[in-house]
Amino acid sequence: MNRNMNAAKALVLAGTVLLSACSNNSNASSPSPAPAENSEGMKLEILAGNVGGKTPEGNTQFAQALSEKTGLEVTLDKPASDYDQKVLTALSSGAKYDLIEVSDLAKLNALIDQGVVTDLTGFVQDSKILSDPSVIPTGEWEQLKGPDGKIYGVFSKFQGATMPIVRKDWLNKLGLQEPKTLDELYTVLKAFKEKDPDGNGQADTYGLSTAGLYDIQGIMSAAGLKYRYVLDNGKRTLPYATDAAIPMYEWFAKLVKEGIMDPNFITNDTAKMRNLFLTDRVGMVTYWDAWVGMFNNLKQQEDAATTFQAAGMAGLQAADGTILMRRGDPDFWIIPANAPHPEAAKKFLEFWNTEDGITLGSLGVEGYDYALDNGKYTLTDTGKEANMDHGVPYWYNTTVKPKFPALPGVEDAMALSREYATLELSLPTWPDAEKIVTNYALKAMAGQMPAGEAVEQMQKELKAANLID
Amino acid sequence: MRLIRKNSILYIMMLPVILYFIIFAYYPLAKGLQTSFQEYKLMGERPYIGLDNYRQVIHDPTFWDALWNTLYIGGGILLAGFLAPLFIALSLNEVMKSWFKRTAQLVLYVPHLLSWVVIGGIFIFLLSPDSGLVNLLLVRVFGIQPVNFMADEAWARNIMIVSAVWKDMGYNCILFLAGIAGISPTLYEAARMDGATRWQQVRYVTLPQLMNTMKVILLLNTLGIFRIFDQIFVMRNPAIAGKVDVLMMYTFQKGIMEIRIGPAAAASFFVVLFTLVLASVVRKTTRFDEV
Repeated sequence: MNRNMNAAKALVLAGTVLLSACSNNSNASSPSPAPAENSEGMKLEILAGNVGGKTPEGNTQFAQALSEKTGLEVTLDKPASDYDQKVLTALSSGAKYDLIEVSDLAKLNALIDQGVVTDLTGFVQDSKILSDPSVIPTGEWEQLKGPDGKIYGVFSKFQGATMPIVRKDWLNKLGLQEPKTLDELYTVLKAFKEKDPDGNGQADTYGLSTAGLYDIQGIMSAAGLKYRYVLDNGKRTLPYATDAAIPMYEWFAKLVKEGIMDPNFITNDTAKMRNLFLTDRVGMVTYWDAWVGMFNNLKQQEDAATTFQAAGMAGLQAADGTILMRRGDPDFWIIPANAPHPEAAKKFLEFWNTEDGITLGSLGVEGYDYALDNGKYTLTDTGKEANMDHGVPYWYNTTVKPKFPALPGVEDAMALSREYATLELSLPTWPDAEKIVTNYALKAMAGQMPAGEAVEQMQKELKAANLID
Repeated sequence: MRLIRKNSILYIMMLPVILYFIIFAYYPLAKGLQTSFQEYKLMGERPYIGLDNYRQVIHDPTFWDALWNTLYIGGGILLAGFLAPLFIALSLNEVMKSWFKRTAQLVLYVPHLLSWVVIGGIFIFLLSPDSGLVNLLLVRVFGIQPVNFMADEAWARNIMIVSAVWKDMGYNCILFLAGIAGISPTLYEAARMDGATRWQQVRYVTLPQLMNTMKVILLLNTLGIFRIFDQIFVMRNPAIAGKVDVLMMYTFQKGIMEIRIGPAAAASFFVVLFTLVLASVVRKTTRFDEV
């Protein structure tokens, strides 16, 4: 009997140990930052979504190079998929990282609210590197401030804007000019549909393709409508849900009805949209400025004598002359409140914005992604596949010059982004509002519902849910 | 006690399984329940707030929309996903050529092995308004305008039902065929001697003898109603989201996309509750315990 009792006690004890091993230690989730330490030889644990190698082997090489260059013992955790879930699971389970890459400003606000992020205001202001406007323009820091005005992140790269991207060679072939107004755009898109711009003798081209509602800002610009929230005298408004949007939705519905617009635009993901553009099926897409260069480069690599020429376009002019374009949310690093080595993380953040850091983040690892011989850079096959993007295809630091000429067309596209693109206002209620706006906007654009009725329904539901004032 | 000691080796063998369930099922369940009563923050204090999270969920109209969508889509899958494989299994049972039977089973079973990413892609492609096979048939054979099935709310839920039934039909069909194979041939022989036709043999021998298999399949499929997620995640788009977003999608959006862990945990406990209620009703009405 005694033996049985002892066995039972042992079992209970074993179970307790097991459970406590799984439990979330309250100390582990404490928001108090670790004390400052000497960072030499210190560990640095990074959770990244974009930064790193393109393969597990490339990632190992990248972490090793990072360790050598920073003097830190770097562990780079780069999940192959489901990054948001991985971040959330890591944070809620008390897993400790010194740096986490984030790509969504709405998420930053949520993370601030959840007590996850460290205030970096003092660090940024005191850092000779980060406070230098030639490294990161002073005004840019506004993006990474929380509602309390404190800085909670450091940029990992320069984020561009989305814009209409047009087949310039098709425009030239059909003797058309780059459109500036909605009417001109209609003429161009109709010609792309009807005048056989690819010259294959078949009516198999579309004028325009998009992937949902996300990137049509450059076209909605014609009516002066900004995506997401706009505060009007402190009141929350959603321009896409106002009466001014009705003629724009009607315009899209006309394109769909006349077969000018790709009818799959609602179910398209961006990869499908890009494929249509690259396979001569569509004359215009709405996408990132950086892709202007990548489109051209991909086609040139496929066939050096290609006539394919993609060009970025500014958004359409509104009646008052304004042009609206959508600046993407930045990619940035946060230091979690439970980071075990915040000093190492800060050292990395400074390094990441220097020439060495930018070269690593763009070209990759020397000897693996590129070779350097007498000051001349050459990409290896692995480096070519990575497309000079290891998390930093473009950067803020104006003192660091690209090691290779820019991809064709990208500089002009980015110049447009810098001139016209502005950030969107993402209030905490946006995820709920977005469902209503996109649902009715897409129906109106597809011609499934009269645009006036769609906007009326939007307004009714948004007001009922207290999502607009 | 003596009995335990006598069978101690068996109990020790059960330990890993018990530990597995405690660690990977019951502990997370208990933790989730605790979270549903907290103002849960990823770091820092997590004060208890009573039933606030549950109240938030109950007062959220999208939760009730998601519940209705779940019942509609899940109910459709349950019904059609039960009848279609039963019909196919009964039909295949009548096929005399065994190679045809085996080939048909294989062809029917293959979709079950594919992930929803593949199946979703196939359906989106098949139903595409410009190049999809279905619309090509509608336009060229019937001369009617193409339908944008995947963007039309009127079709959305039914497409989810059809694709789910198509995917799992082979699996359920094999279960039914296994049940049919287990029926004693003497029963058919006796029925034939009594002058029963083929239909009467099916009606009065096969179906009653399959009752236990049917109960098991019905209960298993019922338990799956509230767990629909992958399919919706892959096949939804903003134009049809209001008609196809199910409860697991609601939980995912609250928890992962909006980082509102407390309400997400509360919503997931509603899912647990609904599943328990539904499973109990099915057990009672089918007299499952008499299997």
